[in-house]
Amino acid sequence: MSMAALKAENARLQAEIGRLGRALGDFNERIVCGRLAGDLPDNFLEQFSQLPDRPLEQVLRFLPARQVAQMRHVSRKFNHLITKCSKSMPKKKIQEEEKEEEDDEEEESRRRSSSVLFKSCNAGELTVEWLTDEGRKIAVMKLAGDEVALSELLRFIHIGGTMYFDDGVSAADKVLDQLSKSWLTVRPEMVVFSGYLSQTSRVSLRAFLKKVEPSVKKLHFENTRNMPDSLLSDNVIGAAGRLDGLLVMPACWGSEPHNFSIGDETLLAVADAKCQPLYCCLMGCSGITTGGIRAFIEKWMKKERQKADVGTFDFHTGLDLCRLVFYKCANVTPAAVEEACGDLLKKETIASAYSEDMNDRAFYFFQCNSSKRRLEIRFNTDSFRFYILDDPTDGH
Amino acid sequence: MIQLCSNDDPPVSFTVPRKAVELSKTIKTMLEDLEGFDMEQTPIPLPNVDAPTLELIVKWVEQHQDDPPPVEKPRVEDDDSDDSDADDDQEPEVVIPEWDKKFLPTDDEQKNQLFKLLNAANYLEIKPLLDIGCKYVADKISGQTVEWVRDYLNMENDYTPEEEAKLKEEIAWAEGL
Repeated sequence: MSMAALKAENARLQAEIGRLGRALGDFNERIVCGRLAGDLPDNFLEQFSQLPDRPLEQVLRFLPARQVAQMRHVSRKFNHLITKCSKSMPKKKIQEEEKEEEDDEEEESRRRSSSVLFKSCNAGELTVEWLTDEGRKIAVMKLAGDEVALSELLRFIHIGGTMYFDDGVSAADKVLDQLSKSWLTVRPEMVVFSGYLSQTSRVSLRAFLKKVEPSVKKLHFENTRNMPDSLLSDNVIGAAGRLDGLLVMPACWGSEPHNFSIGDETLLAVADAKCQPLYCCLMGCSGITTGGIRAFIEKWMKKERQKADVGTFDFHTGLDLCRLVFYKCANVTPAAVEEACGDLLKKETIASAYSEDMNDRAFYFFQCNSSKRRLEIRFNTDSFRFYILDDPTDGH
Repeated sequence: MIQLCSNDDPPVSFTVPRKAVELSKTIKTMLEDLEGFDMEQTPIPLPNVDAPTLELIVKWVEQHQDDPPPVEKPRVEDDDSDDSDADDDQEPEVVIPEWDKKFLPTDDEQKNQLFKLLNAANYLEIKPLLDIGCKYVADKISGQTVEWVRDYLNMENDYTPEEEAKLKEEIAWAEGL
């Protein structure tokens, strides 16, 4: 090999070594600075007595929710870290201690999810209660009014089952807005508004319904007070997606009848329920037309019975029941329904004497024996009672 | 075989099988990026790991080099603007294996060595080691008072008395959890 060739080879190798050296240097920098460069103390090379954020976060994740909340006291840094990563922190599922019942069907135990009840008895004070299905209290937390407390509580708690907005202005905007925050896990199957809705706005209500949309199946406005007509509309209720149970029944003793702009759109959304539609009970919704009802019946008739459904079983007929109830809905009278859908439906009269008006006693039904389903259309207030979820704490 | 050097003066070097050293994601990435160089001949300096800590790391990766790789789960970034719902799934239970129980520096006077180890595991991205270490620390802390935890983690209480009082009120509900 010539001298020149050797020299060239030598130069190449030198360059290679230089390149390697620089590359390693780069990597050292990367290792030293890592992803946490910004958070490291100046003298971090000597001081390792403190854990950086990532391990600390991991430590927190292994702790019980209750303690994580208390650990905010340790130091500002810790508090900041807990607040920052609350999304991935453990969430406590508040539920009844599962009793050891071997023969309990798995489904049974899953359905035994707890209810959470919000009450606002005094202005600026919010009580949150966790209840079993039987209405027994599991846990009660009183929050001292300010919004911080609720959002702090929700950082650490999982909400499923039934969410019940009870007495007072428990569903006021400031409560709903807290619940709608994107990082919170709020997944109720049923939401009941029962209380004063004077401090609830369309915007907050809609945002809240949008938030619970992936999980919610039943939505009730029952015995609500001070609910402005403008609060509910197809658009607002539509935010909750495809419900299989909807009930709108404001308390209205002596007051002017309500007129919500809820129409066929909402009704048909129930017909398109994720599984079988169960009920749609509406009061004071002049937007509902007999044409909409006919469309509902037709959709319902096309639906197949699904095995997995947990339907409302009617003990009298042994069939899965779907019920539509319309009361004080301007365009829906028994006569109008008969005219529009008479060819699809059979008529019966309720024997009970509770109906205020002879006219209201009539009801229509359609029975699909082959698929073991029954659809009923009723027109009196009593029929709402089938679905009202009484205040879970009543009588306990 | 790969050589790793501690940050001591003079550096202490350890020779580790490549397979073991690749349990560190940081080093694995680096080796992949430097494909083509003869890394067997080039010691890798680790400027923020001292010799006793590096010795522990080496011991751990050699013990665990044949473990099946951990299942990667995308990390949930904490971003308030993120619209997606928080992940409901709890972290899978971490169980500290017997060997690791003996391996971890768990005596109280070795506390700082444990923290150094977790620091190193963090920088070197050795997730399983980080997990079991953190699990150990969590078990240690679990059920302890705020004061105890502060002392254990070498943290200063940097709240003013007023801030502390306010915070106490804010988290009073936690008693009921």
